Amino acid sequence: MEALAFAVPALLILSLFVFYPLVRNMIYSFQSFTLSSVAKEWVGLKNYMTLFSDKIILTCLKNNILYALISIVIQVGFGLVLAAVLEDVAFRKLSPVLRSIYFVPTVISMTVVCLLFEFIYNPQIGLLNSFLEIIGLPGLTRIWLGSKKTAMFSVIAVSQWQSTGYVTMLFIVAIQKIPKDLYEAAQVDGAGKIKRFFYITVPQVRQMFFVTMILTVSGAFTVFNEPYILTGGGPGTATMVLSLHMYQTGFVKNNMGYASTIAMVIFVITALLSSVQFFSFGAEKGER
Amino acid sequence: MKMKRAAALALALVMGLSLTACSNGADNQPDGQTQAAGGQSGAGSQSGGEKIVINFFHRWPNDPKNSMFKELIDQYMAENPNVTINMDCILNDQYKEKIRMVVSTDEIPDIFSSWSGTFAQEMIASGNVAPLNGLYESDPEWAGKIAKASIDGFTFDGEIYGVPWSQDGKVFFYNKKIFADNNIQIPATWDEFIGVLDALKAAGYETPIVEGLTDNWAILHYLGTMNQRMVDPGVLAKDYTVATGEFTDPAYVEVLKKWQQLVSYMGEVCVAIDHETARGTYFATGEAPVMYLQLAEIPHIEKLIPEDFEYGFFNFPAFEEGKGDTKALTGAPEGFMISNKTKHPEECEKFLKWLVSKNGGEALTVKCGDISSVDGAVDETNALPSQLEAMDMIKSASMLAPWFDNACDASVYTVYGQGAQAIATGDETPESVMTQVQEAAASLH
Repeated sequence: MEALAFAVPALLILSLFVFYPLVRNMIYSFQSFTLSSVAKEWVGLKNYMTLFSDKIILTCLKNNILYALISIVIQVGFGLVLAAVLEDVAFRKLSPVLRSIYFVPTVISMTVVCLLFEFIYNPQIGLLNSFLEIIGLPGLTRIWLGSKKTAMFSVIAVSQWQSTGYVTMLFIVAIQKIPKDLYEAAQVDGAGKIKRFFYITVPQVRQMFFVTMILTVSGAFTVFNEPYILTGGGPGTATMVLSLHMYQTGFVKNNMGYASTIAMVIFVITALLSSVQFFSFGAEKGER
Repeated sequence: MKMKRAAALALALVMGLSLTACSNGADNQPDGQTQAAGGQSGAGSQSGGEKIVINFFHRWPNDPKNSMFKELIDQYMAENPNVTINMDCILNDQYKEKIRMVVSTDEIPDIFSSWSGTFAQEMIASGNVAPLNGLYESDPEWAGKIAKASIDGFTFDGEIYGVPWSQDGKVFFYNKKIFADNNIQIPATWDEFIGVLDALKAAGYETPIVEGLTDNWAILHYLGTMNQRMVDPGVLAKDYTVATGEFTDPAYVEVLKKWQQLVSYMGEVCVAIDHETARGTYFATGEAPVMYLQLAEIPHIEKLIPEDFEYGFFNFPAFEEGKGDTKALTGAPEGFMISNKTKHPEECEKFLKWLVSKNGGEALTVKCGDISSVDGAVDETNALPSQLEAMDMIKSASMLAPWFDNACDASVYTVYGQGAQAIATGDETPESVMTQVQEAAASLH
């Protein structure tokens, strides 16, 4: 009873701001209406049928999956390595400074970061192409955001630059919780740094591993700012992602019903992915 | 430990305080509105209309326009002490979203700004916009000064639903010196235009014409004009209507082929820069001698160009095989609408008439550089020569063709814009883009 009383405030807020909008959105996804229309027309499954003939959805899915995969490799994979390196004895002195430096991008506003990268990617006066020319690799210069081949990767790179520091921070916290005697015992047994990383650090931070996986993957499927600011989904539809498509459908094309349907798609994908991760993590916890 | 907790508490307090401070600041405007609404009902009950409150909502929160409106409103309120005008404003896209949401409700502001064309139609469809024919008929002297072509943008089935405030047109700006140095004449037809671009290229200008193609709207401005020049007006009108749009006329593919030809003169970089960059780093520096710009961009150009930079205008050239009016100018007025739910229709009309006259018109052109819809609002003494030339250009146009993104449904023009961008990067062909446009148009039926 007491437990319930403690849960009530959170439950109230969640219902008001999460569950209620979710249910409303589900209802909207079966309707057809615009921002200014008074009446909402029931159209049954029509919006869901549209999904299957919508070619942009495929581009979006492809891009979001690419986003998720690269984010896992760089943010989670590389972030963990970075955290382990920073926590290593060799970096003890430098570590606080480096930690702050890696974390700084996280606290900069996304819009600022994107505008900054727009300048870096500028094909004529941008830092990236100028840098490539200076180091003698003019053959590698590209029209980064203006070409179908490089645009999506350029957009993804911005998020990696920004978020890796955050994930690294989470891993550092996890690594600091690992009992030191584990490392000492391994060292006595003759395990090198790399072995200690794979046999002690990685298994010990497994919980954090799942947390960061959920964070990055759901982040990758809801990403909006980067493509919106950097490319607006262009060139053509090369950098369209689900949330940008949803926004354009709802607020530009003024088709709120179908936009709600796309929102449902995003919800189902992120819910599925997180529950898969959640349950596999829960099962492991039970085993131990 | 205790220290830490105390510190955390203090921090939380400070953050909480700063939060409330923020929200106070941000809420100011809506607060003003609620007060205004209260005042309004109060005025109604007092009967006699001593104190009158008008809610005025527009889309220019940036200076110089915002402060211009503030000054004008202060001036009006000083002249009419019984009237209080509550001004509220938010920027373009958010404005579109908000006005769309409130227009069909009781929250609709008494006076609000609107684009012409489809956006105006959408507003009118709410049933809450007052027709203003009476206003125009009751004061022919005032009405005669308002640009006729701009009033047309707010006229639907013979009813006028708005008062045009500013006018705009899209024309080619060209670098007079470069044209003179290379002995280039202003082109009247498409082939002549391509000839000009070739001549400029031969003269060493790598990008004879420039545009920032990351901005979809900039592409749409081109395509709107090109469709208007090329396609039979009857077919165009049918296709731009949501219920009957098909886009099957071969002329549309022809337009995209011309577009493909045109972007080949814009250099590789054009797909990676935006309109402002193109304007600032190519046109204003003389690197690109021709650019398709809005007359409303004159003040921006003036700020960018060096002393001796001279520019002129020419309208989009005619297509040899085109079926559209070659004297038309792409551009549309923006204006104000009055809600038919307002409690003080006469006062709203009075204020609008005062605003859209030499009072506001002169301020708009002199302070903000926009082209006013009021004839004679400015003259040689207070306007730039290029602004006067621009006014003449708009006046001499046979008709104002609406912006593409005001002329047809967003589902169609979004596909158009994305497709044309992909044509520029070489990822799509004119035919494949038209197929997508046709699908998008068909999905609206």
